[in-house]
Amino acid sequence: MVEGPFVVSADGASLESVAVVAVGVAAPALRLAARDVAGAWGAGGGKHTVAVCDADEDALTLACAAALDALAQAGVDATDVSGLWWGTSRPPFAEGPSHSFLATALGLDASTGGGLSAGSPHAGMEALIGAWDALAAGHARIALVVASDGLVPGLGTAGEVTTGAGAVALVLSAATPPTDGSGPAARLRARATRHMAVVDRYRGDGQEATGDVYDGRLFREQIFLPLVAAVADGLGDEGAGPGARAWSIGDIDGKLAGAAARALGAPLASAPVHAELGDTGAASALLGAVPALAEAGVVGIVGYGGGRATAVLVDVERPVAGAAGALDRLHGGRAVTYVEAAKARGQLVPMVDPIPMGVPPASAAFVRGSVEMLSLEGARCRFCGTISTPPSIHPHCVGCGGADTDTVRLARRGRVETFVVNQTMPPPFQAPLPLIVIDLDDGARVMLQGSPVDADTIEIGDVVELRLRRYAVERHIPVYGYKALRVPGVAAGGRAGAGVGTGAEGSGR
Amino acid sequence: MSWNKVAVVGAGLIKFGELFDQSYEQMAAGAFDAALASVDKGIDKTVVDAVIVATQRGTLWGQEGIGGNTIPTAIGLAGVACTRVENACPSGSDAFRIGAMAVASGVHDVVLVIGVEKMRDKSTAEGLLARAASGHPLYNRGETAPVLFAPFATRHMHEFGTTSEMLASVAVKNHHNGCLDPYAHFRNEVTIDQVLASAPVCRPLRLLDCCPQTDGAAAMILTTPGRAPEFTDKPVYVAGFGVATDHPYLHEKSTFVGMPATVLASRRAFAMAGVGPGDMDMAEVHDCFTITEILDIEDLGFVEKGKGGPASLEGETALDGRIPVNPSGGLLAKGHPIGATGVAQLTECYWQLRGEAEGRQVAIRRGFALQHNVGGRGSGVSVVNILTRNPA
Repeated sequence: MVEGPFVVSADGASLESVAVVAVGVAAPALRLAARDVAGAWGAGGGKHTVAVCDADEDALTLACAAALDALAQAGVDATDVSGLWWGTSRPPFAEGPSHSFLATALGLDASTGGGLSAGSPHAGMEALIGAWDALAAGHARIALVVASDGLVPGLGTAGEVTTGAGAVALVLSAATPPTDGSGPAARLRARATRHMAVVDRYRGDGQEATGDVYDGRLFREQIFLPLVAAVADGLGDEGAGPGARAWSIGDIDGKLAGAAARALGAPLASAPVHAELGDTGAASALLGAVPALAEAGVVGIVGYGGGRATAVLVDVERPVAGAAGALDRLHGGRAVTYVEAAKARGQLVPMVDPIPMGVPPASAAFVRGSVEMLSLEGARCRFCGTISTPPSIHPHCVGCGGADTDTVRLARRGRVETFVVNQTMPPPFQAPLPLIVIDLDDGARVMLQGSPVDADTIEIGDVVELRLRRYAVERHIPVYGYKALRVPGVAAGGRAGAGVGTGAEGSGR
Repeated sequence: MSWNKVAVVGAGLIKFGELFDQSYEQMAAGAFDAALASVDKGIDKTVVDAVIVATQRGTLWGQEGIGGNTIPTAIGLAGVACTRVENACPSGSDAFRIGAMAVASGVHDVVLVIGVEKMRDKSTAEGLLARAASGHPLYNRGETAPVLFAPFATRHMHEFGTTSEMLASVAVKNHHNGCLDPYAHFRNEVTIDQVLASAPVCRPLRLLDCCPQTDGAAAMILTTPGRAPEFTDKPVYVAGFGVATDHPYLHEKSTFVGMPATVLASRRAFAMAGVGPGDMDMAEVHDCFTITEILDIEDLGFVEKGKGGPASLEGETALDGRIPVNPSGGLLAKGHPIGATGVAQLTECYWQLRGEAEGRQVAIRRGFALQHNVGGRGSGVSVVNILTRNPA
């Protein structure tokens, strides 16, 4: 164990160039009122709501959404990312290809570096530190940091009332990004980490839900507050104190963070995000800081989990791209009952045998198809321009029968050409399920599942976006693919075929 | 000039329905017996020198070993040449086409074409619905059978103003015809209001827009025109046929208001028979869903594209209409035991051309009848057969 907190000061030359280029955020589809949770167990509850993953969402789908948001805010192409550092308490594969699935879905180059931190809510800070060090060492130019969680709290546990879900992503750069300003919008300045061998939240090998095995008072007085105070103190510049204008502190219930911020003598910047989503686990410290990155000043970020705490100072010169309006992007969601939330989290399951979906490792077809589906590849005909999807089942062009094609990445937005709403399917499918034929903006055509939320209102011509979703879990293996979700606020274009680039130009349709 | 190189001299089927008490083999034997019994001058079954059997899902649905050698033993003809044909929903009509080619080639003299399908030996969830998980492992999840056709309804309604009432009128007509067909699965009338009030299955299709899951079997006996007089003085001839394919996935479709495979297959059949849609006295077409019949009658050339809905609502396809469609009750009322369906449709054409469709006989003027199936993934294959009572 390193003696005392490890500190990197602002004067460290190797850190001077680590810039925060942009941030992205994502929240899941559902919102659950705390009083419904408490009421289910005969207790009174708070007035807040927590965000809950729908049945087809998890830490991976949230991570994907936040990362795409950050890349778009940064104006950075996915193929320019040197490394992906992802932190989550609960990777979708406890052992397996979590990182490679996310990297593939984001369209990152196959040579992309980085790593997966997991196992506690501290994982988000670990991802940040990993990216920072790689940039500082000159081993990466652009780093993508993602922190996400969609925890499943144990039924009836204390944490159930506050456990939320959400994701945050940061694009970090070793070089000054090409802006008209004099330097980066924000930069990482200092950090400190401490650990203590204690057991608090806990999920054992093979267990589905997270439990709280600690005494609340003991945790607050002997673990959380002392560790937060220690790492915050560790940021101090020769005893002058960290001098943060605001703090984002990840914690279980917001009350602990509030107490810690009061002790540090500055406002708690993370309160609005916590009120919106609840405890977002590994995402909580970084996600809570996002609104504060929209204003100049020093922001302190403290993440705690699994007996570890890390604090980071961010100097904000100008609003970081994507920070303003982040709360609006997190707002919304569909209110659900406790029963609906339990179903979505997989804690209330029907006693019927779902039909087998043929997921790996049984299906060679899945292995052949998973990369091209996750990274949304098409085969563009060199002769007629038609994009056939997916490439592996199209050795010849759908439009002209030609055999010369180039692999291209598909657009993630398009319009509804036609659709159905399937009401009659065996488990694990749940009605109503829209199935949509979409003309993508690049002229390619795909057919994907939609969202039950859109079932009543979907129309031909509606604009939809392709979002990564978890299709199924079979033999404990999650299966991911894209669903087409309606983009709110974009009116139907009437007769499809007018407007966006449909098959009219050279797709042979 | 019609092709007329093959004659049909016998045809029969068993009553369609949920035949829980009959095995696959018993159904086949029942259909074969009915076909034998239908032969005007009688027939010794041992003259059959080849069997073409159509069964679509048998390999999945409890008949895992189904192949060329299951049927001969079941019908007491072990040793005879036998081949199984699987070509999706047109399996039965394609088996007929292949049987006709076997006769016309001179290789076989008397060919039995038999379609058999057990749709109800597995539970609903394990049977047809289970295909929701079939296909590409990431694409097309949730694609039950109505999903293959309902997108065409959505688009047809959008482009041509086709209404739910127009769709419903197809179910009303075919249920009415089914009441007149003793072999039909459903023999009850339905009203437009009942169709519109039935449960949503796959919007915009409702329960009564969909055909049932039906067990059944049908059989036909084919021979050369030269040998036909040994068996009957009223043979029906194969005037022509056509097969065509289209892309297998819905997102590959060039259109959602028509089925190019049907258009191509019918053009080929009409060209071979030397006739056109206006020469048909009746048609048995693939009405797995109400929208399918509307698409069919447009794609086959009976009505202008986009006018299939109004034509159905206005009775143009009724028994006494301009072009009677599905006098047997169609798949919607008679049922859709997949491998048997095409053979049963052709049997109806055979009876109609011979004037034997009691209670639902249409007027035979020019002496031609058309039979059509379309199906497979993305409705990517269609077969059209044209029969005639006119000698070449």
